[in-house]
Amino acid sequence: MKDLNYNQQFEFSGKAKTYSLIAIAIGFVAIAFGILAGHTERTFANLLLMSYYFASVCMQGILFCAIQYVSQAGWSASVIRIPQAYAKVLPYAAFVLIAVITLGLLTNHTVVEEGKKIVEPYLYAHWATKGIVVKGSENYDAVIAAKSSYLNIPFFFARLIIFLGLYSIFGALLSRYSKNEDEVGGMANYNKSFKISAIFLVVFGFTTPLFAFDAIMSLEAHYYSTMFGWYNFAAMWVSGLAALTLITIILRQNGYMTWITDNHLHDLGKLVFAFSIFWTYVWFAQFLLTYYANIPEESVYFYKRWEPEFKPWFWLNIVLNFCAPVLLLMSRDAKRAATVLKYVCIVVLCGHWLDYYLMVMPGTVGAAGRGFGIEEIGIALGYVGLFTFLMLNALSKTSLVPKNHPFLEESLNHHI
Amino acid sequence: MSSHESIIREPLITGDNITYAKITDDILVPVENMPNKAWWIGFTVASAGAMLWLYAVSYTFWYGIGSWGLNKTVGWAWDITGFVWWVGIGHAGTLISAVLLLFRQNWRNSINRSAEAMTIFAVICAATYVVSHMGRPWMALYTLPLPNQYGSLWVNFNSPLIWDVFAISTYFSVSLVFWYTGLLPDIATIRDRATGLRRKIYSVLSFGWNGSVKTWQRFEAVSLVLAGVATPLVLSVHTIVSMDFATSLEPGWHTTIFPPYFVAGAIFSGFAMVQTLMLVTRKVLGFENYITMFHIESMNKIILLTGSIVGVAYLTEFFIAYYSGGEYEQYTFLNRFIGPYWWAGCMMYGCNVLMTQLMWFKSVRTNIALSWGLSIIVNIGMWFERFVIIVVSLHRDFLPSSWAMFYPTWVDVSVFIGSIGVFFTLFLLFLRVLPAVAMAEVKLLLKSSSEQEKKKLLEQGHVGKEQAEFYKENLIKYDSVEQAEYSNI
Amino acid sequence: MDSTKYILGIFDDPDEMMKGIDSLKEKGVSIYDVFTPMPIHGIENKLGIKESRLPIAAFIFGCIGLTAAFCMLYYMLVYDWPINIGGKPHFTAPNFVPICFEWTVLFSSFGMVFTYFYSNHLFPGRTPRVMDLRATNDRFVIAVNAKTNTQHDQIDSCLKEAGAVEIKHNDRKYVSYE
Repeated sequence: MKDLNYNQQFEFSGKAKTYSLIAIAIGFVAIAFGILAGHTERTFANLLLMSYYFASVCMQGILFCAIQYVSQAGWSASVIRIPQAYAKVLPYAAFVLIAVITLGLLTNHTVVEEGKKIVEPYLYAHWATKGIVVKGSENYDAVIAAKSSYLNIPFFFARLIIFLGLYSIFGALLSRYSKNEDEVGGMANYNKSFKISAIFLVVFGFTTPLFAFDAIMSLEAHYYSTMFGWYNFAAMWVSGLAALTLITIILRQNGYMTWITDNHLHDLGKLVFAFSIFWTYVWFAQFLLTYYANIPEESVYFYKRWEPEFKPWFWLNIVLNFCAPVLLLMSRDAKRAATVLKYVCIVVLCGHWLDYYLMVMPGTVGAAGRGFGIEEIGIALGYVGLFTFLMLNALSKTSLVPKNHPFLEESLNHHI
Repeated sequence: MSSHESIIREPLITGDNITYAKITDDILVPVENMPNKAWWIGFTVASAGAMLWLYAVSYTFWYGIGSWGLNKTVGWAWDITGFVWWVGIGHAGTLISAVLLLFRQNWRNSINRSAEAMTIFAVICAATYVVSHMGRPWMALYTLPLPNQYGSLWVNFNSPLIWDVFAISTYFSVSLVFWYTGLLPDIATIRDRATGLRRKIYSVLSFGWNGSVKTWQRFEAVSLVLAGVATPLVLSVHTIVSMDFATSLEPGWHTTIFPPYFVAGAIFSGFAMVQTLMLVTRKVLGFENYITMFHIESMNKIILLTGSIVGVAYLTEFFIAYYSGGEYEQYTFLNRFIGPYWWAGCMMYGCNVLMTQLMWFKSVRTNIALSWGLSIIVNIGMWFERFVIIVVSLHRDFLPSSWAMFYPTWVDVSVFIGSIGVFFTLFLLFLRVLPAVAMAEVKLLLKSSSEQEKKKLLEQGHVGKEQAEFYKENLIKYDSVEQAEYSNI
Repeated sequence: MDSTKYILGIFDDPDEMMKGIDSLKEKGVSIYDVFTPMPIHGIENKLGIKESRLPIAAFIFGCIGLTAAFCMLYYMLVYDWPINIGGKPHFTAPNFVPICFEWTVLFSSFGMVFTYFYSNHLFPGRTPRVMDLRATNDRFVIAVNAKTNTQHDQIDSCLKEAGAVEIKHNDRKYVSYE
């Protein structure tokens, strides 16, 4: 590793820039198409899905960095700039998510349900419809009224803003310390990162379940599951890992980060493999307990997902997120083969899109308004472009290796 | 080898002039010599406990389950509490040897062996509960899918209790195999140093191990794969234990977070038990150089982490009880604080969540006496957690006319205290006949992670000044390091 | 005739032993085996030992366990004697998962470990084939077959140069048969 260029920087230009801008444009076209075609609710559902996915991956970047510091991980020091770049994108992702939710929550449309005309918002209609907590209103829902001290619009926004704001601050601090470390060296910044990471983990650990309950579970506000927070956490963690692995491989294939060896890929592959199993574990535990106990207010969640419109997707979810990574990445050689790993990561990323799709769609558009077409693909592409653009832009601001990281030497000589 | 290890990593083996031979000599002291007084005192007390257990369980078998304090409402109490408590404790060993191996936490090398042994003994204790709470122990046969005289009326595989039979027996046998395979090289070490009958016995036990290249190579492959399959196995075991409760419709039992929450709780209590035993073993057997303050602090950090995860789960349960709007659900959780068992609820939340938060302070984490005390408090708290979940949820459920309290009889209490005696008897015997620290694995760390190697690096001045300072600061907490030696390096 | 059967180069440091292996290989001396008290990273490549196929065995045994468990459950609950339990279906696939998983793990770990014991001839009561008693304690031993490698002096000097603390010319293969 003597020929390592400690100042190697990612240059954000050319194809990467063009393609990500094109993808963003496709996203806008898809939104416009959705609205013009009269699928506004479906468009909003897709926007919420992708904004949530986008924010989750960015949050995972901070979490990944924090865990590396707290556990004194050595191997990851040479890839840490990538999750740091995600972390820097979180403020944008947070803004997008909050903007989508604001628009969806505050604009209304009229739907006909069971022969009754109801004016309801595009998103979170289940608890945010006007009059739903007012006794005597024709929209009155006693169950929702009982939880309205938690599920009400001001408090809902306050939570979203506080959570995402806090995470963004921690992300910014971690990447700033790492940048300072490049400039001045020494242990001071490392120590600060360690402390901030520990605090972040506490804040994050206690608030992410609520974040998932708010953003996703409350779409079907009668349903509740204690596992839902950790289930979303598992999805966030594994999809972030898959994104990290994918970006690392693509950068290496383009001549950057030549210090990343098969050993690093092996470790990343192991993480994707292991946490895909973890996701399945959490998913299955939630499913099995609901299936077994068969309590109506819980089973309704899976009942909706077993409607003929969703059932194939329901099983495909398991194939993409469990069978594919587990079978394809089981052998040592597969985890060390960049191409195999790359495609598995793409599958896992698509799989978690589907996972979120199954969380969001039945509670918003329902079986009748469900679709898989221009809106879904276009909006997903748009967000991929947005993420790529912002992340690569952030990545190009610092060198690709944290040259004064105390564990860099270990990472560069990493060997399993 | 890993000569690239960063200087800021704390040493895992302290002391000067540690050689491979010294590691063997130090660790085999208890195995190759007569026991000291402390061991005899401990063994006497523990075996008295084991006798108590024997008596109480025999009494149960003779007079039936009626000798316990169960009633129509609370039909499941100390027996299942004790079972879950022991199974939970039995998670740490495999966790330390498997999960920490996968995460390359080298510090596990010096504590995995005794932790695994502890796991096996804890699972034995748990299994005794299963058998004894059948009342008629020969009925254990009916949990197995064996052809029988009822035209082969098979067991109901839909029942989580049957899943438990499979999970616990698999876990026990796989842990045993994992532990014993790991022991082979160390048994061979004892064998080659022993003479006479001892050599013959250890020779049989060593399976003829000789340390050739292929033996080691395959040994490593086996360890890694076993760790890989044991990791989900550990998760599955407590998951299935949690499903004994969570598949039901009982408020306070039926909640989807139970599987990972139970697993976190199991790791929490298991690590606490390892800490309890490790601190005593370290002192009594003089393993200060191999089980260092870093090990103790790391264990405390994991206890803090898992305690906090359990805390998140507690809060989630409370939150969802509110959010669900279900009045039975809400009452169950309120009843933990305002009902007649408020003290049990306070013990549960106080010991598990509040007390462990003390471990945020480095001075607490690195204080041996406090760590020991806290590790015991954790296990008290975890016993109460199971008690609260089981008894407090059951004692007041849907039908107020059948609300009742649970009062343990002396048999309940004796079975529980006795099982602790059984556990310690087995553990103390283990310390006498097998090495409490995995010698081969500790030897692996000598050249990369020992204090003497790091000191050499410091003396040669190959390390950055700030990193050296950082390292020296971290050494201050070590009670087994001569601090004076570092003042002039 | 020289009665030496095996030449043992005994080292007290694993890195020096690795050097010893290198220089013996340079001289074209074939190494019979190496005995160490702990696993040595990278020695398999040096001695040209193929990667272990035990993980594959584990996978196959795991598949067998999974199939066995599923077949057993299906036969007992669905085919042989279906019981009406609370009106639920007989074929409750999700409920099969825990036991199927346990048996996958059980079969794969036991299958692999017993394959390992079998392939390395490890079983209770087997006479330990030990060439030097300290090889399980603190010595790293390179064993060279003295019958096939006849230039004994060269081997000795090679080992000495690499840092062997002791060189033994043994007339019998194993010391542990006394």
